[in-house]
Amino acid sequence: MFKHQEMEINMGPQHPSTHGVMRLKLKLDGEVVTECRPMIGYLHRGVEKICENKSFAQGQIWSDRLDYCSAVANNLGWAEACEKLMGITVPRKAQYVRTLLAEFNRLASHLIWLATHALDIGAMTVFLYAFREREDILDINEAYCGSRLTTTAFRIGGIPQELPEGFEQKVRTFLAKFPSCIEEYEGLLNENRIWKKRTIGVGLLSAEDAIALGVTGPVLRGAGVAYDIRKAFPYAAYSEMQFDIPTKPEADTYARYLVRMEEMRQSVRIIQQCMDGLPEGPIMAKIPKLLKSEVNEVYHATEAPKGEIGYYLVGEKGGAAPYRFHVRAPGFMNLQSLPKMVEGSLIADVIASIGTLDVVLGEIDR
Amino acid sequence: MKKFLKTLIPFDIAKGLSITGTYFAKVFLTANRAKVKQHVVSEYPEVPAPLEPRFRGRVQLILDEAGDPKCVCCNACAKACPTGVITIEGGKKEGRKTRIPTRWDYEMERCVFCGFCVEACSFDAIKLNSQFELAAYDREDFSLGLTGAHNVLEPSPVGKFSYSDEA
Repeated sequence: MFKHQEMEINMGPQHPSTHGVMRLKLKLDGEVVTECRPMIGYLHRGVEKICENKSFAQGQIWSDRLDYCSAVANNLGWAEACEKLMGITVPRKAQYVRTLLAEFNRLASHLIWLATHALDIGAMTVFLYAFREREDILDINEAYCGSRLTTTAFRIGGIPQELPEGFEQKVRTFLAKFPSCIEEYEGLLNENRIWKKRTIGVGLLSAEDAIALGVTGPVLRGAGVAYDIRKAFPYAAYSEMQFDIPTKPEADTYARYLVRMEEMRQSVRIIQQCMDGLPEGPIMAKIPKLLKSEVNEVYHATEAPKGEIGYYLVGEKGGAAPYRFHVRAPGFMNLQSLPKMVEGSLIADVIASIGTLDVVLGEIDR
Repeated sequence: MKKFLKTLIPFDIAKGLSITGTYFAKVFLTANRAKVKQHVVSEYPEVPAPLEPRFRGRVQLILDEAGDPKCVCCNACAKACPTGVITIEGGKKEGRKTRIPTRWDYEMERCVFCGFCVEACSFDAIKLNSQFELAAYDREDFSLGLTGAHNVLEPSPVGKFSYSDEA
């Protein structure tokens, strides 16, 4: 009388919990997911091809729009990749300011992750609290470069302008306040029984699978692998900073949550060190007005909030634009692990798994 | 037994409630009394949003003492623009040594407000002003030229689509 059959449904691209325009093709056996296939490409703009037709300096505005929650980290990667291609050394003060802003950006990105992840699972208060602090970080962005989200914060060879008046005061006020805010979020979530039921043991991804799939960032560190490009291949001023890499061996959603919360504390530490040890000196290296590349090929990876963002540039002789440009987006690699996480689990856990991956479709579809 | 008690008595929920309750009490008890308001939400359309001096709004040409644009039509901004929104044509004016723009078109719909044009200008003839309420009903309203109601010499007329001149 009753026929047992699998059902195929589309989750997204308009589903509020898929963080943008991601579509998941789910095969369901009752409430159990038997197959999951992420369908991407709804936000494809051809960023790589556009950048091949623009000059090196102009290309930066497209790096803003890759992962729009962490524009500064993308700017940093782009600027450093171009500098590597042309062999430019950046002054020490510019390195410090870059590190400082990139860490602020990590906080902003993690806050937006925490807010939306908690909202997906059902904790609305955290959403409001996290956005309150993110607002302060965006104000700091605005004070520095005049824009809140699409920052275009750096230039090839340094930073465009000195830190504004009252910047240090703003940063110090934020640093004094923020650690207690992290405690608030943890007070709301860490021991909360609903949060724990929804996250512990959900979205398991072992260290072997994570490495095999090319997963980086907090998802990899949540599986117990202490790999962070800031420590492994230091860039900007990270070689002079003291910080720890938090890891958790449990490899579930709760472990990744704890890793990210600890990362925010470490970011506060790094910002403190940047502010205390800010050197004096020039902010811009001596560069020609029109940047030209040599025949060269570089890959430069930096640790964006979501994982390893790599820029691959091929230069031709005297070329004002990259001959070939490719972005290794952390979200794209991390999303590949979603089927591994959700197949065999309940459909409600798919939401938690998407949240824990912290996907931003701007960089996945590019 | 301990685990059973822990399940029965919701300490974890109480901890969360105490955090939100503290905020509620703070705002509730100090309403209309505290000098510094405890609210974090700004009442934006009624109260204008505070902007930083470096804020990057829309492009505006700067005038010299004679009331002419300072622009000398060197096209540096047009070349620096990543999205190609600036078109300049130069002409001559009696009594002025440098060239003067006869056409200065700015397609705001494609502008990304990156500020590269301002950095490229060596004559301080251009700036990004502090306007951000730039919505309009017609696409034509985003094409800014030297003349007309919307032009690149003055701030755009505020009011039709903005709340900031109310109250």
